[in-house]
Amino acid sequence: MRRPAPVIALSALALVLSACSGSTGGDGEGSGSSDPSGSAQAGGTLVYATGDAEPTCLDPHVGGNYPQALISTQYLEPLVGRDADGTITPWLATGWTVSEDGLTWDFTLAEGRTFTDGTPVDAAAVKANVEHLQDPDTGSSTGYLAVGKVSEVEVVDATTARFHLSAPDAALLESLSQQWTAIQSPAGIERGQDANCAAPIGTGPFVVEAWTPQQQVDLVRNEDYVRPDGTAEPAALEGITWRFLPDAATRYAALGSGQVNVIDNPQPDSIVASEGTDITHIDAPRPGSSNRIELNTAQAPFDDVAVREAFIRSANPEPGIETLFAGVTAPSYSPLASVEPTAYSDESLFGYDLDEAEALLDGAGWTERDADGYRTRDGERLTVRFPVSTNQSVAAEQSLFEQIQANTRQAGFEVVLEPMDLSAWYTALGENAYEAVSAPYTKVGPDVLRVLYHSDSTVPAPSGYFANHAQVKDPALDALLDAASASQDEAERADLYAQAQAIVLEGFYILPLYDQQNHFLTRGVEGVETLGTVSTPTFVDAALTQS
Amino acid sequence: MRGTARRLGVPGGVAAAVVALMLLAVVAPGVLAPGDPTAIDPAGAMQAPGWGVWFGTDESGRDVWTRVVHGASSSLGVGLAATAIGTGLALVLGFAAGLGPRWLDVGVARVVEVLYALPTMVLALLLVAVQGPGVAASVLAVGLATAPGYARILRARARTVAGSGYVAAARLEGRSGAWVLRRHVLPNSLWPLVAVVTLGIGQAVVWVAALSFIGLGAKPPSSEWGAMLNAGRLYLTTSWWLTVCPGLVITATAAALTVLGRRLGRVAS
Repeated sequence: MRRPAPVIALSALALVLSACSGSTGGDGEGSGSSDPSGSAQAGGTLVYATGDAEPTCLDPHVGGNYPQALISTQYLEPLVGRDADGTITPWLATGWTVSEDGLTWDFTLAEGRTFTDGTPVDAAAVKANVEHLQDPDTGSSTGYLAVGKVSEVEVVDATTARFHLSAPDAALLESLSQQWTAIQSPAGIERGQDANCAAPIGTGPFVVEAWTPQQQVDLVRNEDYVRPDGTAEPAALEGITWRFLPDAATRYAALGSGQVNVIDNPQPDSIVASEGTDITHIDAPRPGSSNRIELNTAQAPFDDVAVREAFIRSANPEPGIETLFAGVTAPSYSPLASVEPTAYSDESLFGYDLDEAEALLDGAGWTERDADGYRTRDGERLTVRFPVSTNQSVAAEQSLFEQIQANTRQAGFEVVLEPMDLSAWYTALGENAYEAVSAPYTKVGPDVLRVLYHSDSTVPAPSGYFANHAQVKDPALDALLDAASASQDEAERADLYAQAQAIVLEGFYILPLYDQQNHFLTRGVEGVETLGTVSTPTFVDAALTQS
Repeated sequence: MRGTARRLGVPGGVAAAVVALMLLAVVAPGVLAPGDPTAIDPAGAMQAPGWGVWFGTDESGRDVWTRVVHGASSSLGVGLAATAIGTGLALVLGFAAGLGPRWLDVGVARVVEVLYALPTMVLALLLVAVQGPGVAASVLAVGLATAPGYARILRARARTVAGSGYVAAARLEGRSGAWVLRRHVLPNSLWPLVAVVTLGIGQAVVWVAALSFIGLGAKPPSSEWGAMLNAGRLYLTTSWWLTVCPGLVITATAAALTVLGRRLGRVAS
């Protein structure tokens, strides 16, 4: 077991007790990003406490999950950025052009930019990064899929990188704006995977100084930092201590007692409790997919659409979302996040109807009931194995799953909830040992639908991860997603994506719950912003406040 | 029997009553709490203890009293099972070492010493790490981890009894080894163990609850007491009853079993 659990439990108690006695009063409004009780000061080290899993590698090219995106935002930068409206903005690339047929893209790089090891940020570096992502030995999944249509990067000259595509990719810029395709020093990559995982070398406002596993990563300021607009101006903070605190109660208590300045993944009741104190709440829902339960259609019982519909009709998550999340989020009826303009909803498919669920199961042959009240067919119990990643699902979400377990039991489902850590969870998915799973997937733009529901995505990426957990294989859906990906016409894309989402919803492949929750609570710091790409926080303009 | 009851005294009687109540919760939880421990009611979530909801409700609106009562079978049952494994193993090890040939005694003693060198909880964590979390794993883990302690007591008792005058006398009378074992060694070695085992059940309940508390034991929606403590911990500042109620029940169980064990020990001597 990787958790030094008794220590955590004891320290959690100690912290809770210290939080009770500590002062949490303040005159802040709990909104906006400034703290009126103090004044900003230059320097100092910010302490960030994350509840996400500790990455096994700090290079987001390897694998490619959200914890890696969170931390790498501080030291790696992408080719392009994206503002809150969804407009792609220059970053390491100052400009780009695309050919008529959509198969050739030229990216122009800023002159004179260097990585923190002195290596120039040039076209050769971009080429090396794409090749690194595509190299099976890297074991990439998220970045690998994002550059899947790039057949080759040609070095035209030092500042011009030409991307040759195998097929038009309307989502290319969005894909390249993510942390998982961020550009790092080719000299750093050359050191080999172990060295690069320990301390990737980028162009960001901070540099990885040391990594103490199971405890923290120390980041120090990049004194020569150049901003996306070309001005040289380092961050105000001297450094960031990135601590791993898996327990939500401990994190919140540490924030209240002033031991940390920023926490992620707070419990909804903590968010509500922090209102009206000097704690600031940042709500930055992730783009891409909504948070949903995927039903594995590759094996019984969910290979039968009637059984899937019965599960969804009997789940009734809404009352639980209302109470457990205390108004922090709203129910979703879409495969896409509400921040995606192309999101398509159909609430009518998800109404609670136990009688209908029972009738569907009777019709599907699950007619018998065993001694425990679960339905059976040919002596086989109607069991749904549901591995839950405790690193990704906050306690409120785990409670919601228990409620869904209780509700679907009325219809005769036996849901077996299996809480596990992230690595065990990946293993369970890889072994196909699940009937239901909640797997957050973040990607900028509606192209996430192709990653999640295209039949190609049932084939594992080099990391062994496949994103189509519902294992949807529908040629009509594939055709829509391919056409949307190739289309350069915004209106046509939106229409194709709407059709694709209708197929996903009407096939009862997923039970949407709400947006992928992405909340941050800050105290004693101002100027914390989240990026318009995958909603990770950046501390380039953050400053500690005197209180 | 009446003499035994008198010698338990008032504290012993109270302890015995608490244990009897716990056993009733294990055997027939419906008598104490007729409801369904997994029945949810989101609209009635987080109610403080009051009339009809003696221990309040949790974040899903489940009745905490019903869950605690129905959780007795997993918590106490698991404690009993773990102790049964521990004593079963100890019987074999202890008697083998105490009555067997010298080389066996030395061999068993070394094994017991090595196991003894590891704190019980560390040994249990190690076993759960190897086997993977779950109720069966924690039962086995706590059982194995407690065995060395019982084995030592048994070995010492068995040696004392075997070396006693009345055993020597019986042997001189020409009684068989089996007769001596049945008539003298077993009863005189085992009776003191009853008191220790009663103490041990309380300890095992706490250990199993501890394993569940850190997420290595019972799975949701089980209302095992340690798992309830863990789930309620997140709401400690707002809804104290989610941790205090199961916590008090664990304490009461362990205390009752300890008092009873002490009293039984005194009765035995």
